[in-house]
Amino acid sequence: MPKAKNKGQLIGGEIEKSKAEDLLYMMVLTRAFEENAEEMFALGKVHGTGHLSIGQEAIAAGAGPALNESDYLLNTHRGHGHSLIWGGDLNRMMAEFLGKETGYCRGRGGSMHIADVESNNLGSQGIVAGNLPISVGVGLSIKMRQTNQVVLTLFGDGAANEGAFHESLNMASIWNLPIIYLCENNQYAMSMAFERAFRIEHISARANAYGIKGLTIDGNDVIAVHKAVREAAERARKGSGPTLIEAITYRYKGHSKSDRQLYRTREEVKKWMEKDPIKRFAKLLDVDDKTIKEIEEKAKEEIQKAIVFAEQSPEPEISSIMEGIYA
Amino acid sequence: MPKEIFMPKFGFTQEESEILEWLHTEGDNVEKGDPIVVVSTDKISMEVEAPETGILSGIRYQIGDTVPVTEIIAYILQPGEKLPKIKQKEKKSKESERVEEKTGKSATPLAKKLIEEKSLDIDVLAGTGENGKITKADVEKFLSHKKVIPGKIKATPAARRIGVEENISLFEINGSGPEGRIQADDVKQKIIALKKTDTGGDVSITNTIPLIGMRRTIAQNMQRSMQEAPHMTLQIDVPMDALENMRKEINAKQEKKSEKVSLTAVITKAVALSLKRNPILNSQYSEKEIKILGEIHIGIATALDEGLIVPVIHNADRKDIRQISKEIIDLTERARKAKLKPEDLSNGTFTISNLGMYGIDRFTAIINSPQSAILAVGKMNRCFVPTDTDIPAIQKIITFNLSADHRVMDGVQAAKFLSDLKNIISEPKVLLK
Amino acid sequence: MREISYMEALREAMQQAMEKDERVFLIGEDIGIYGGAFGVSAGLLEKFGPDRIINTPISEAGIAGACVGAAVTGMRPIGEIQFSDFVVLAMDQIVMQGAKMRFMFGGKAQLPFVIRLPGGSGTGAAAQHSESLENWFVHVPGLKVVMPSSPYDAKGLLLSAIEENNPVMFFEHKLLYKTKGHVPEEMYTIPLGKSEVVREGKDLSVIATSIMVPRSIEAAKILSEEGIEIEIIDPRTLKPLDEEPIVSSVMKTGKALIVHEAVKTGGFGGEISAVIMESSAFAYLDAPVRRLAGLDMPIPYNRTLEYHAVPQVENIVEEARKLVKGVY
Repeated sequence: MPKAKNKGQLIGGEIEKSKAEDLLYMMVLTRAFEENAEEMFALGKVHGTGHLSIGQEAIAAGAGPALNESDYLLNTHRGHGHSLIWGGDLNRMMAEFLGKETGYCRGRGGSMHIADVESNNLGSQGIVAGNLPISVGVGLSIKMRQTNQVVLTLFGDGAANEGAFHESLNMASIWNLPIIYLCENNQYAMSMAFERAFRIEHISARANAYGIKGLTIDGNDVIAVHKAVREAAERARKGSGPTLIEAITYRYKGHSKSDRQLYRTREEVKKWMEKDPIKRFAKLLDVDDKTIKEIEEKAKEEIQKAIVFAEQSPEPEISSIMEGIYA
Repeated sequence: MPKEIFMPKFGFTQEESEILEWLHTEGDNVEKGDPIVVVSTDKISMEVEAPETGILSGIRYQIGDTVPVTEIIAYILQPGEKLPKIKQKEKKSKESERVEEKTGKSATPLAKKLIEEKSLDIDVLAGTGENGKITKADVEKFLSHKKVIPGKIKATPAARRIGVEENISLFEINGSGPEGRIQADDVKQKIIALKKTDTGGDVSITNTIPLIGMRRTIAQNMQRSMQEAPHMTLQIDVPMDALENMRKEINAKQEKKSEKVSLTAVITKAVALSLKRNPILNSQYSEKEIKILGEIHIGIATALDEGLIVPVIHNADRKDIRQISKEIIDLTERARKAKLKPEDLSNGTFTISNLGMYGIDRFTAIINSPQSAILAVGKMNRCFVPTDTDIPAIQKIITFNLSADHRVMDGVQAAKFLSDLKNIISEPKVLLK
Repeated sequence: MREISYMEALREAMQQAMEKDERVFLIGEDIGIYGGAFGVSAGLLEKFGPDRIINTPISEAGIAGACVGAAVTGMRPIGEIQFSDFVVLAMDQIVMQGAKMRFMFGGKAQLPFVIRLPGGSGTGAAAQHSESLENWFVHVPGLKVVMPSSPYDAKGLLLSAIEENNPVMFFEHKLLYKTKGHVPEEMYTIPLGKSEVVREGKDLSVIATSIMVPRSIEAAKILSEEGIEIEIIDPRTLKPLDEEPIVSSVMKTGKALIVHEAVKTGGFGGEISAVIMESSAFAYLDAPVRRLAGLDMPIPYNRTLEYHAVPQVENIVEEARKLVKGVY
């Protein structure tokens, strides 16, 4: 997994240049992956549904790289980008999409439950806010084992209204747990607009309710995300407890593939697309459109390879249907 | 190459044979043509011969085993050869196996048909057939019982299991459970009660006769005949004086005993002629049609130590009485020596049974299926009968008793056959033709 | 062998487990200085300190989630849900997360946690503090469900549950906490997934769980004087169920009575009844399988009504008598 290095030329004062270029590529790869996933769903090639993070790539590119390989990830259903950043193997992710035996979850989990426990990716969630109480347990475990790890817990604006959010933040606060609560506020919880679900202006204000540090950042700015997460990790490892980071962003596509998006206008979507995170980061890195195109081609090629791998992979054996329920 | 020895098919309808005796043992040297094993089928014993010279090996069946025809029963190996691998053949038809597998109970084909027709629960039926096999009569008895909604009986699983295991029909049991449900104990009580009535206490068994071979074949055939064919019996007393006088005359001219004409022979010929005039008696019943047969082959029931056997006089209507007589003697002798061949017993169309030599005046015989009738001949008695002028005269009388299949013919036809027979015997010259 | 109470047996199990394995810890409400709502964890805080006896705010989802998160990262937590009724607030973490993570992730994660739940009626705690909800969890693949009926079983089963590498729902009965029995001092385990024939008898197979086991034993004494000998089987682990002793017993006696406190409709009795019907014991049944269970109602407050809402010793006696005498 890409590590942040504080050597050589630092882009935005945060990320070393060659690392930043890698991250740009990851963003492009993530978007290509998502677009391809959309196509596959549309063509009926994938069983079930999927939740695309197109438009939110900056958060994934900024967060994971700010942490260590041994740190934990608790992901959401809209987390393909994070899984990729966390050392995700394209082949295995694509295979899981198609429900194949070679997928991350042997075809048993699908898009919403991608996990790789060995690389400390503790899985994506089908239950909104379901991962928040779990992060308390992970935090307790880290403290008890005294391993100086942190756990990055992702969730959306919708999760901040679940009871589990409050129980989790409260427990994290009283026990000083090393948790980074990273809220990807993409303005909508499915069809519920932020302004209608919250009386407060910023979710980060809720940190005050629990006496912990909270901040709101531009979620489409890779540098900002990287900085916020890095600092939160430092605090956690020092023993100062959890941080609530609210990253403002936007998703271009519907909640899932069956979303007709009746709750917002095309104009609104277009407006956000003008502030596209990939374009912004490319500009920051002085990368021209031609190079972008080349990167996009390369990403598409990689994805094609992954598709071939996945399509050629075997289906799970029916005789193995009951495997993996109990240890 | 190992040479296979098959269980041969001797008769057209033969499906299986029983091993009676091995004349050689595993490893013996045998010559081609040597008899190796004695088998029994449909009341005859047959020897199976070695098809080649060599070593008898791989004997697959023992005494008492029933082997389907064309099964391999052993091999002839040449020195140094090994036995080949064997494939198992399916013995039963799949359907009968299904019904039997489900319940562990077996039923005759007719019974099975009825069971399926009436959607009955085979578990609750008791069989009176061989090895507890359920017969059609058993099923009909069950159905006629008032208490029963056909097929349904209130009993616990435990009661049913005991019923199946002990072959007790549940419908005769009064249940002590709620709403008359039959409990396990009720079945157990019934078993105890039945044991008491069976033997009236303890009765010992001094000997058992295994139901194999000829005895079994006869048992099966007789039962089937009685179950399937409605027997109607007609009697006629026939004066034999004219016939006996004629016979005496013929035999007086014969020196050799073997050339003498027996009473059985002339009766056989008389029956043959009456059959010719009454072809419905010379027929076979099948589900779709009654087949009137073209030839007249009369079987003569012959008693052996092991049981009953029926060698056949083929085309009895066309042979003269001397020839018939010789044949009868020959067949009887060979029967006693177990030297009958399959053709001696095949294709009978009518049977005559005679118990006169045992002092029986009259009796009823059971039709030799698939024939349509059988004639039982009693003892020749000297009786007083009134003449035309009401004066008592002595006559030699034999009572002929005909059992006929009422599916095939009615009383009138059977009666005509008997009255024709009487007429022929009373005017016996016709027998000399 | 000394006699201790069910509650002391549970405490001893946790203490010995925590002494042996530093990955084991207890988390729940009021388990610290208060010693637990029923006193089960009294003294443990002093022995192990607040880092291993973790007192929580009122946050059942948080408690269960903490167990899931700690278990999946290598710890062996024991979570206490103060009254089993409150498990409803933790359902997502237990049913959707803890029970399913291993399977959803392709068999790659391990979730070794125990949730202890005091349940049952008889203390006047009324509808929201008296439930028997074990069958909800029998219905969730990925969980194991255990119900100890005696102090000896409580210690042995809890030690096994802590060693188990899968999530275990451990249902204790409030009225059993003070009951006493012989319990070995050393660590011992009773394997999960093993039924026990508590009493042998030829006339009727009684399959009972939790508090219905001691009640059935009482009933057996009364019935014995009438010449009726009942066989009592305690499954101990409801899931996975050890069917064989139950099936053998019914094959012997031909009659079965299932007794549990939980409401009859949708209760575990239906499951056992079906298991018997589908087994080779079916052909040996001489009467219908009967269930004696809680009335289909919330537990009432009034003492007498509360008493009659669930099976008592006299109910077991009467039902057994009827079955043996052929009323059903």
